[in-house]
Amino acid sequence: MYKKVLSAVNEHLNSEIAARYALNLARVCGAKLYLCFIAEKGMPQQNISKAEDAIKRLFNEAVETGIQAEGITETGDAVEEINKIVRHEGISIVFASTRREDIEKRFYAGTVARNLSLKLPCSVALVRVVHTGKIHPHKILVPLKARIDHIKERAYFTARMAEGFHSRVFIFHVTRPITRFFYGEIHLTPAQWEKRLPENIKDFMDYLIRYEIAHEGRLAPGITARSITIEAAAKRHDLIIMGASERGLLSSIIKGNPVEDVLRETPCDLIILKPRHED
Amino acid sequence: MKINNLKKEEVLRNLVTSENGLTEEEAKKRFSEFGPNEIKEVKKTPLSIRFLKQFIHFLAILLWIGAGLALLSEYLHPGEGMLTLGLAIIGVIFINAAFTFIQEYRAEKSIEKLKLLLPFHVRVIREGKEKEIPAREIVPGDLIVLSEGDKIPADSRLIDTTSLMVNNAPLTGESEPVPLQHEPCDGELIESRNIAFAGTTVVSGSGKAIAFATGMRTEFGRIAHLTSAVEAGPTPLQKEIVKVTRIIAFLATVMGIVFFFIGQLIGRSFWENFIFAIGIIVANVPEGLLPTVTLSLAMGSQRMAKRKALIKTLASVETLGSVTVICTDKTGTLTQNKMEVKKIWTIDNQQSTIDLLIKTAYLCNNAKFIDGQYKGDPTETALFKYARENVGDIKSERISEIPFDSERKRMTTINRLPLHPPFPKGGEEGLFAFTKGAMENVLPLCNRLMMNGSIIPMDENLRKGVIDAYHSLMDTGLRVLSFAYSELQPLNSEPEKDMLFVGLIGLEDPPRPEVPDAIRKCHDAGIKVIMITGDGSRTAMAIAREIGLVKGNPVVIEGHDFVRMTDRELGKKLSEKEIIFARMTPKHKMRVVSILKEEGERVAVTGDGVNDAPALKKADIGIAMGIAGTDVAKEAADMILLDDNFATIVNAIEEGRAVYENIRKFISYIFSSNIPEIVPYLAYVVFRIPLPLTIMQILAVDLGTDMLPALALGAEKPTKDLMKQPPRDPKERLLNFKLLSRAYLFLGPIEAAAGLFGFFYVLRSGDWQWGEMLASNNILYMQATTACLTAIIVTQVANVFACRSFRESVFSIGLFSNRLIFIGIAFEIALQLFIVYHPWGNKIFSTSPISLNIWLALIPFAVVLFAAEETRKFIVSHRR
Repeated sequence: MYKKVLSAVNEHLNSEIAARYALNLARVCGAKLYLCFIAEKGMPQQNISKAEDAIKRLFNEAVETGIQAEGITETGDAVEEINKIVRHEGISIVFASTRREDIEKRFYAGTVARNLSLKLPCSVALVRVVHTGKIHPHKILVPLKARIDHIKERAYFTARMAEGFHSRVFIFHVTRPITRFFYGEIHLTPAQWEKRLPENIKDFMDYLIRYEIAHEGRLAPGITARSITIEAAAKRHDLIIMGASERGLLSSIIKGNPVEDVLRETPCDLIILKPRHED
Repeated sequence: MKINNLKKEEVLRNLVTSENGLTEEEAKKRFSEFGPNEIKEVKKTPLSIRFLKQFIHFLAILLWIGAGLALLSEYLHPGEGMLTLGLAIIGVIFINAAFTFIQEYRAEKSIEKLKLLLPFHVRVIREGKEKEIPAREIVPGDLIVLSEGDKIPADSRLIDTTSLMVNNAPLTGESEPVPLQHEPCDGELIESRNIAFAGTTVVSGSGKAIAFATGMRTEFGRIAHLTSAVEAGPTPLQKEIVKVTRIIAFLATVMGIVFFFIGQLIGRSFWENFIFAIGIIVANVPEGLLPTVTLSLAMGSQRMAKRKALIKTLASVETLGSVTVICTDKTGTLTQNKMEVKKIWTIDNQQSTIDLLIKTAYLCNNAKFIDGQYKGDPTETALFKYARENVGDIKSERISEIPFDSERKRMTTINRLPLHPPFPKGGEEGLFAFTKGAMENVLPLCNRLMMNGSIIPMDENLRKGVIDAYHSLMDTGLRVLSFAYSELQPLNSEPEKDMLFVGLIGLEDPPRPEVPDAIRKCHDAGIKVIMITGDGSRTAMAIAREIGLVKGNPVVIEGHDFVRMTDRELGKKLSEKEIIFARMTPKHKMRVVSILKEEGERVAVTGDGVNDAPALKKADIGIAMGIAGTDVAKEAADMILLDDNFATIVNAIEEGRAVYENIRKFISYIFSSNIPEIVPYLAYVVFRIPLPLTIMQILAVDLGTDMLPALALGAEKPTKDLMKQPPRDPKERLLNFKLLSRAYLFLGPIEAAAGLFGFFYVLRSGDWQWGEMLASNNILYMQATTACLTAIIVTQVANVFACRSFRESVFSIGLFSNRLIFIGIAFEIALQLFIVYHPWGNKIFSTSPISLNIWLALIPFAVVLFAAEETRKFIVSHRR
């Protein structure tokens, strides 16, 4: 599925760490890795040097690991230039790190990360790096909604990441508590909840079985974002992989945006995947 | 692969830093990307919003509609007193909101206390120069300089160490210093010896470390995140109150709508039906219920405080009563945390070998005897005291020490001794290494043994003999330590090699005397007690048997198995009748609590350390130790044990159960008066009579006269068999059919009959004719409504006695056993006298003074109510 993986690198440490996730995926998939740096106009030379150094380090790492890699440096608007490269090279997936200033913006509207996610014709993995000590994640938490699209690609991405890091996958579905007007909240045990596991999630797990990835599934009632971050913190997960938000601005204002909330409070690194490959 | 597995060069490369540290510019960049290194509270609903929510739940909305209708009536028909009513209903909404908020409110200060454990300033190397910077400016990649006394600001990988020892107590709960080093380590990051964690302190030595996680992403931040984000959810009582209010709101709405249309059908005016609709809402809603519940919980918390259990959230008072599982620590809670030497074992049982063993225990020890008092860790103190009392003081010079740590599970001291027995062959310099610790970590170091005054090689049979003795001592509940020593020839020889095994000492931490009885009470009350201890399984089992915690063959899960088990496997084990967790650390507690809660249990958990805080927050009842507990644990808990005693938890549970029982009693009392409030309205609509009871008079009962007697019912003592019943079923309703039928179909109708009797008695004595409508300011009408109100009060006096128990006769529980009842009744009557005879009372409640003979005419109804209830109880108890 992923033949060409592109990672956007800049002068910041988190972009280099994010690129290592791309490097891992490229290695497992036998894909070609593109390390790309877009220098915006007026960028200080110092920053350009730092980004180029990062590309060199990553390039060497890739070569050491036996990955075919290519470094690209361009000047201009990051989103536009990456878009051009993606179309020209036929990139399957782009990795980009989110910046702290991005996630501080409400609904991260207008950020480079969101624009990449919306405008690129390929899949996009936005990486939020918060912990630099867990180099290879052992435990990957995968929160899933009841209804998900691109199940095959999501499962493939998760499986390949897990395979690359020899990680165990923990699927987690947060659902609304069951309530009755006169009875209030109805308590269900984990075994009872398990029977209510949505079909899409079962399909996702079937794919993981096919890819021979060790995994566990859990369903719990609660508030989505809060439950995810608590689960990740309590069970010491090293990485969260979740889908990009499908909610529009109005819906986010009214109902909140779990992805945005997890981005802000994640206790470990987080990858937000926007899949584009049709099942 | 994690940062602990990497070599120094790899660490520097991965974090893109160097031994000269970051440049200021790079540090600034990273600060903007990773944010400040600080502990923050997880975003929560602001207090003001939580308060405002009390105004928009279902019942409140219904009351807002009632108030709105009253104010609309005032606008359409001024001067009918509807303004007062509208304002009174709004007052009720505010009162209920305030009392519910008080019940739920608790000051959240655990994060504040956590912040105090982090440093304010820290020394780093940046651009090759050492400098002091605010700790919040530390970023991943920063090179931190550590020396004795420093608090560590961020999770960091050590790259250089010199005899570095840290105190990890905030993270692990273990107060013994841990030696750290800078070489790569295998295994998990959290257990690595080359990682210095934020919030811990350098006890001795020095080092340099590269920060790799800051702020909320550190292990310390993880505790803060969980402590701040985890919530136990609404308490059982809060859930029940919501259900009760929904049932009431539904009943009121249906009755209001049905009788509004009946009124329309029988030709009453829209205006009359309008008043009726408001009246029926007010009559149905027990306005005083929430204040009474809150005050009753407050009284319950005061009673608990007298029994050494300090309650922090009012709602927790009742939650305690519903607990089905208690997860408790052993040391200090079930036991006294006063170690005593109980058994000495040597292979030959010769006095000379025993002396050798005791002297080893004396020398390999850090306890002190200062100003007539022993100071130090309880185990060390017990050994030191025993040794001093048996062999006296021994002169020696301590050369060095390899301290105890939880991984090695042993400590060794190097001492210089004068050359004299009983340590033969002291070497030229009289140097000895003395070691004590867990059998599995000491015995492998030994290849010799002292037997009958001779040193003999340790063969397999002797080794087996030692192990068997160790197990048999453990099986008696003792904490067993092994002792060995070796003579050191040159100063640089390996101290912990080729040692001579001396013997075993068994120490006992005696159970608290009250504990066995408290455990028995728990078993009688159907409450499961799970012991979570750091001790080995044999010791844990023996203690558990001694205190009666286990009888059969319990499931024993040790820490290393626990980590490997899936949640499902653990859930299955936790459903077993008897279960003990051994060799556990506090970080495992939250998982146990979470799984138990998911299985539907109501869980109480004890804790004292910083890392217990998440489990304390997650549990339905988090219980912190008042004496041994950290401030963080106390802030995270719902209850603080002032004496750290397990028995106090059981006492508090008994009080909690009594509170729930008492809440049901006063609900029964309050709901009984709903019927005499509703029936006059129905009669008004159906029989076309003047309204026998005004809305303000209903409020006088609900928010006035009923309040103190109801509160007095909240102070009833626990009944004898309260702790012999299983915990109440989560499906059991606070407002069940039995309670509702007793109040609405049995007691309430008697009160309604009394009210209507009083009303018509006055009307008929004033020559009123059936069908005649009277003006609201007509004296006869006002006296009649006053009589109706008085009838409710008089019968409620009898009802308060009736509601003191559900099954036992008042005479069997003691007529005077709750003196507050009489104070409540005195208040009730005094308030009624004010309403009936004082001009202000008359004005507010539209009443008029009535003669004594009306009071006397109403008393038989009270007698009938009391007698009827006593008869019912007699029948019920004899049927059982």
